[in-house]
Amino acid sequence: MSLFISLAGILLGFALNASSAMALSLNPDAASPGIEDANILHWILFVVILAVIVVVNLAILRAARPRTRAVGAKQGRKISQTKLALGLSVFALALFVVSTVFSDKSREIPVSTETVAGQVEGQPLEIRATGQQWLWRFDYPNGAFSYRRLIVPTGATVQLNLVSTDVVHSWNLPELTGKALAVPGKTNPVYFRADDPGVYTSRSSVFSGQGYDTMEIEVEVVPPAEYEAAIAKLRIDIQVAQDKVEAEFQAARQKADEAADQVKQMDSTTKLNETESANAE
Amino acid sequence: MSRTTSYPQSMPPTRPEISSDGPSSRPARWIELATSADHKDIGRILITTAFGSIFLAALELLLMRVQLAVPSNVFLNGVTFDRLLSVYGETAIFLVALPLIIGLLYYVVPLQIGSRTTAIPRVGQIGLWLFIFGGIMLYASFLFTPPEAGINPLPPFSDATFTPNNGVDVWIGSTGMIVLGLLMVSIDLLTTLHNLRAPGMAWRRAPLFTWAGAIVTWLFTIIAPIFLAAITMLMIDRLYGGGFFSGEEGGSPLLWQHFTYIFFTGVYMAVAVTFLAAIGEIVQTFTGRELPRKSFVYSLIAIALIGTLAWTQNMLTAPIPSGWKYYGMLMALALIVPFGLIFYNLITTVSQSDFHMRAPLRFALGALSLASIGLAAEIAQSTIAIATQLSQTYDAWAATHFTLIGFVVFGGFAAITYWYPKMTGHELNEDRAAKSFGLMFAGTLIAVLPLFAAGVEGQVTDSYRFFSGEGLDVWNLISSVGTLILFVGLVLAVGNLVKSRTEEPVATPDPYRGDSLEWLALSPPPAHNFDVLPDVRSTRPMRDIREAIKRRDDENAEAEGVAQPVA
Repeated sequence: MSLFISLAGILLGFALNASSAMALSLNPDAASPGIEDANILHWILFVVILAVIVVVNLAILRAARPRTRAVGAKQGRKISQTKLALGLSVFALALFVVSTVFSDKSREIPVSTETVAGQVEGQPLEIRATGQQWLWRFDYPNGAFSYRRLIVPTGATVQLNLVSTDVVHSWNLPELTGKALAVPGKTNPVYFRADDPGVYTSRSSVFSGQGYDTMEIEVEVVPPAEYEAAIAKLRIDIQVAQDKVEAEFQAARQKADEAADQVKQMDSTTKLNETESANAE
Repeated sequence: MSRTTSYPQSMPPTRPEISSDGPSSRPARWIELATSADHKDIGRILITTAFGSIFLAALELLLMRVQLAVPSNVFLNGVTFDRLLSVYGETAIFLVALPLIIGLLYYVVPLQIGSRTTAIPRVGQIGLWLFIFGGIMLYASFLFTPPEAGINPLPPFSDATFTPNNGVDVWIGSTGMIVLGLLMVSIDLLTTLHNLRAPGMAWRRAPLFTWAGAIVTWLFTIIAPIFLAAITMLMIDRLYGGGFFSGEEGGSPLLWQHFTYIFFTGVYMAVAVTFLAAIGEIVQTFTGRELPRKSFVYSLIAIALIGTLAWTQNMLTAPIPSGWKYYGMLMALALIVPFGLIFYNLITTVSQSDFHMRAPLRFALGALSLASIGLAAEIAQSTIAIATQLSQTYDAWAATHFTLIGFVVFGGFAAITYWYPKMTGHELNEDRAAKSFGLMFAGTLIAVLPLFAAGVEGQVTDSYRFFSGEGLDVWNLISSVGTLILFVGLVLAVGNLVKSRTEEPVATPDPYRGDSLEWLALSPPPAHNFDVLPDVRSTRPMRDIREAIKRRDDENAEAEGVAQPVA
């Protein structure tokens, strides 16, 4: 029995030790309004859960204590089952109400305080995030796109439309949006508004194959002007790269055509020579 | 076996003669086991397979934890880790949890209801062999390509386009055979429960574990076909160009998630129901008190029903209508009521009574302790706001593992040590059981508690490595050490089960003075279970029998006492 008690000591020590890590750091860097509500709910539920665990395990320990004297039958059951069930129902219902309130609040679409290019006034800025093995692609309203790294403006509500071209991926950005699945054939929108500039990194969280652990997400939050400049530059860069590729392609094709012409000429000369030699014979 | 003897024609026998070589010799034990349709043999094979597979699952978990002990480890490469992870998941669910609950119920419940056989034993026998070949198929795949698409191979990733090798086909084939086999065993048990109860064994008098048998077999009869349908659709998608789960061709990848999560959540609840009922039996026997029956049985039914209906709790981040999400949250939180009632009743019953601490009760209390941590942590996992943060991380993994290690491993050892004398005819070594319990309990706490912290720090599951500088190093190292301790404890505990069969004294039929009818049969029970079947007149038939015997002895003694002075 001393064994059981010492193990209980380990348990409690661990629970308290892990608790400080758990309670304080669900999301210390919450950067979107909804995430704050998730943090508060986590705090409430964490206290409730820890209380439940401690009470239940202390009761188990008390039940398993070594008996030094006989336990009389006088300690009869005092609470009736109906009352207990009612009490537990009230507890469960209270948890449901609290969870619903905070979940609703955390799912509310935040209001834009800024409007940037490509965004209709009063509407969120729509960016499409495409999951693919094992990279995220982001398409901005102006036609520019980027891989792995997403740039968003501060203050503007972003509607990230999650889609997938191959398998199920999970978008995962604890500080701004939390997790959401990108499922092929469906669009799953998530909303966030980042108020402070910064860089947030994370990685996908649904197993998607061998490159899964390298499927990183990096979101850079910059002021609106910088964002507009950045995606404009991105578009120009893409156009430049496209032009360059096009030019190289045209050059290569021209070269190929010339080479083909030469071969044709050589062919015809060889043919000519052949006919000549045939004639000579 | 009779032998015909030919007699000379001239001397016909005056009377018919029967000549014989004596009774035919019994076939070898393994032939008997392999050809038996007896519920006890089938149950023992299922239970033995489950305890053998606990070792395999723990070994696979240990290998994965060694890989995750330090950041950016190169002990295993990605593919090997994915394969170990997939096989670990399948082993833990389909080769440990399911055969353990079905095997225990199939062995014990016919004895508890006073039946001499099961209703359709051949169906159970076919089920057993389907199960065995499913298990062989899974582990034979290590010679070729083991499954590597994750614990739950989500299409379209598990479609032929993205995982063209045979691993997923092995997963489909082996889980299909295992689930179909165990479904047939449960159908046999369900039929037995409804048709072959002893005279007087009304449902209101049925023991708790028998109730669990009825609930689990009904539940399994509902959820197993859903799973079989899902894997058949996946097989058609993979091999015959179907489009059930491909988003582009009019199918839906989310359909698979609905189907499989109904099944997996149902299995989770079946495990909880079975082992809570087993713990209930243990508590009743060792404390000599009855649990409030009505409340306990209704709670078990509620767990099976509400728990399975809470399957959308696993899909809180998927693009499904929000109504489904709030519904999943409501159902998951409603589980607080039945679980709370059962935990309260079990703990107060132990607390208010004198008892002898023996191995089954020790494991039972350990199971309650670990499961309480896991179930409480599931509260947070089932709320939408927190699931979007913590699902698919090691926080969710830790909650599930606390509950399942608590119920399956500790509840499993509680049940097996409780019925060990009945099954083997030998006592169990209490000393070794206590030591292995200590190691396993400490190991589980050290292995799983730090993962809550790692999950909150954001470590995602199923990844074969993590990187330093994210606050994860310490938690993972502690967890790996704990897994090693858990593994050693498990090996000792399973070794104790094997060793006690030969080393320990022979057990009496009723070593604990239990109240249900399995203790009336010999240990181990003969093929026909009971020589005489009693009329069941209360919820505690064995106590009635003991009292009747005592009354008869008293009367005899009294009669002798009266008779003596005259003589």
